[in-house]
Amino acid sequence: MRRGLILASLLLFVAIGFAVLQQYRSLKPVGITPSLTGQVEYCLTCHADLPVISQSHPVETFGCVMCHGGEPIALTADLAHSTLRGGGNPSDLSVVEASCGGEKCHSGTPQDNRDHIQRVTTSLQATYAGAIAQVRYAFGAQPAPTAQMGVYAIDGLAAFDPTSESSPAIQTFGNNCLYCHLSAEPLVGDEYIRWSGCSACHSPAPREDGTLVHQLTTSLVYTQCNKCHNRGNYSLLDVKFHSRQDAPTDRLHDYYQPIAEFTRCEWTLDCADCHTRQEAMGDGHIYNNKKEIQYIRCRTCHGTIDSLPLTYTITDENDLALRLAFLNPKVDLKVGDTILMTDKGELLWNIRVLPGVEGTTPTNELFSKATGQRFTFSPVMGSTCQQKPDQQDARYCHECHATQR
Amino acid sequence: MRPSFYDHLHPPTIPAAQARLRYTLGMGGLAVFLTLVVGFTGILVTFFYVPTPEQAAKSVQELTFLVPFGWLMRNLHFWSAQLLILVAILHLLRVVFTGAYLPPRRLNYLLGLSLLVICLFLDFTGYVLRWDEGVHWALVAGTNLVRSIPLIGGGLYTALVGGSQPGATTLIRFYAWHLFGLMLILMAVGIWHLFRVRRDGGIAVPPPELRSDKERITRTELSRREGLAMVWAMIVLIMLAILVPAPLAPALQEGSVSASENLAPWFFLWVQQLLKLGDPFIFGVLIPLGALLIVALVPYITPQRLSPAELGRWFPHGGRNVQILVAIVAGVIILLTLLALLPLHT
Repeated sequence: MRRGLILASLLLFVAIGFAVLQQYRSLKPVGITPSLTGQVEYCLTCHADLPVISQSHPVETFGCVMCHGGEPIALTADLAHSTLRGGGNPSDLSVVEASCGGEKCHSGTPQDNRDHIQRVTTSLQATYAGAIAQVRYAFGAQPAPTAQMGVYAIDGLAAFDPTSESSPAIQTFGNNCLYCHLSAEPLVGDEYIRWSGCSACHSPAPREDGTLVHQLTTSLVYTQCNKCHNRGNYSLLDVKFHSRQDAPTDRLHDYYQPIAEFTRCEWTLDCADCHTRQEAMGDGHIYNNKKEIQYIRCRTCHGTIDSLPLTYTITDENDLALRLAFLNPKVDLKVGDTILMTDKGELLWNIRVLPGVEGTTPTNELFSKATGQRFTFSPVMGSTCQQKPDQQDARYCHECHATQR
Repeated sequence: MRPSFYDHLHPPTIPAAQARLRYTLGMGGLAVFLTLVVGFTGILVTFFYVPTPEQAAKSVQELTFLVPFGWLMRNLHFWSAQLLILVAILHLLRVVFTGAYLPPRRLNYLLGLSLLVICLFLDFTGYVLRWDEGVHWALVAGTNLVRSIPLIGGGLYTALVGGSQPGATTLIRFYAWHLFGLMLILMAVGIWHLFRVRRDGGIAVPPPELRSDKERITRTELSRREGLAMVWAMIVLIMLAILVPAPLAPALQEGSVSASENLAPWFFLWVQQLLKLGDPFIFGVLIPLGALLIVALVPYITPQRLSPAELGRWFPHGGRNVQILVAIVAGVIILLTLLALLPLHT
């Protein structure tokens, strides 16, 4: 009996030793109390090596939980991640309001230019209303190709439900062709891989080895856009997606599909260098198709033979142009600088008007949003161009300026 | 000199048969030990737990992840509580299957049974105190059972929950019941139960004149055996605490209370399964109370058939009818528990 007691006591000491070892080996909590929440969170215990997602979302201010959700105190992965919003992607449109919303964040007023969520969720890229309208019209389900349905119901659009469509082709469209809107899972393949929601454009896709890139950026390379665009075509004949077959190896050929015609600036720059926030993210209104929302023309930057491009002079420290330049500081903008502006008043903050000699045509400089590379260009006015001011669609300019490939 | 309570429970010598492991399984002593562990760790946990809906789950997570050895404290509290239920049930079955409920031990049998019921409620209230996603069933289905009782159900529900639906008042009430109400009753009845064990002549064995085994063991020997059992139990508890952490889930959010996909705590799984059969009052209240009544009536069902000479061994002939009855009740409860767990594996 005595021996049994001694043996058991020894084992008890071993068990207690195990408990001490367990405590010793357990994670040492690394806490942070973000100034916006005032609530301590311990995500950095495991995620200390993550880079700050963007300079407008410093971790000391936002922390992790404000955007991602999750259990701030838990130190086991399962529990800590159990209430993450949108899995690893809090910008998924199903949770975006909770993650990115808020009056002072991304669901504020149009006047403050903080209505991003309202604009994106009604945009063609999110609702897919244009494609749905075109296909339903093509197969006789609606009398005109006007936007009536979206992949979800919003602002007068009904929710598109392929199973309640009578046309087999529209049902097939529902099965085969809903891979490109912002809530969709992308097609399988490295060339299509991307996030959903805001991160579809603003976060790099996971790397080929599956690791993730913790970044939100407005420095968008054309390859980010090409995760959805220029990858192939949807055919109405068999209602299927046909990927492009030309396997391009250089940028000139990769930029657009072989059928497209474009000028040098189109493939030298990135899509986001010319296309504006409203074009890509919507302006809060429902449009019937891409053409209706896409309004940037060659003349927006180059003007016509009898008019210069519109300009805007920065007068305020809180100017939207300065805010945008802060997000992607490729150009050193300051109060007093003059930049170009679109017909709708959108600021082209990466194109600055260079101070010139009075009485001469001013030169402009564009900074690539992706690389910071500087391009200078002169307006059409004063050049040898003879293009009529009322014929400004790209096809007219392409007649002279299209790149041969 | 008046003996201490310890000496009251440990007289100078006792018949060896009363302390034979294959007879008693050591379950009574283990239950006492586990109660002490659960009580001591409970006191420690109380220093960290914050009984408000906003802070409850958070404070449990803080205890688990941030307080040094907090995880050990909580896991020991959890596991000693779970094992206490198991040990108490095995203790009850031992008493039933050895006929130890015979007079003069009827009262103590009922005291022991009420201790089991109190422990179940203590476990149930403790489980709700987590106030996380894992306690939906208890909060919704469990409390709604009370409401299903005719006439007094509504009033009882309000008294228990503190309003028309679970909320902050529910949490503070469960907290008070867990720490004070049930705890005080447990201590009072528990001490009474232990006191009665000796008052009734120690653990049930045949009277001295009918006893074939005349061997006796000393107080020191008894204490040594108890000490050994406690050390082993502590080893098991610590290893369980290290290897199998007590459950945790995200904090319960207001408005997210739904019982649909939640399992009851393991000791009430059989009630959850019964509820699937129909009326909550009949299946969730009457039938479980009926089962408790059957077990409570054990000492009163044909006690004359069982002779004191048959005591001190398993499955005495005279208690066969009672044994079969309780075996059926236990079998049905185990079957219902297994059925409730079945969907987990399909």
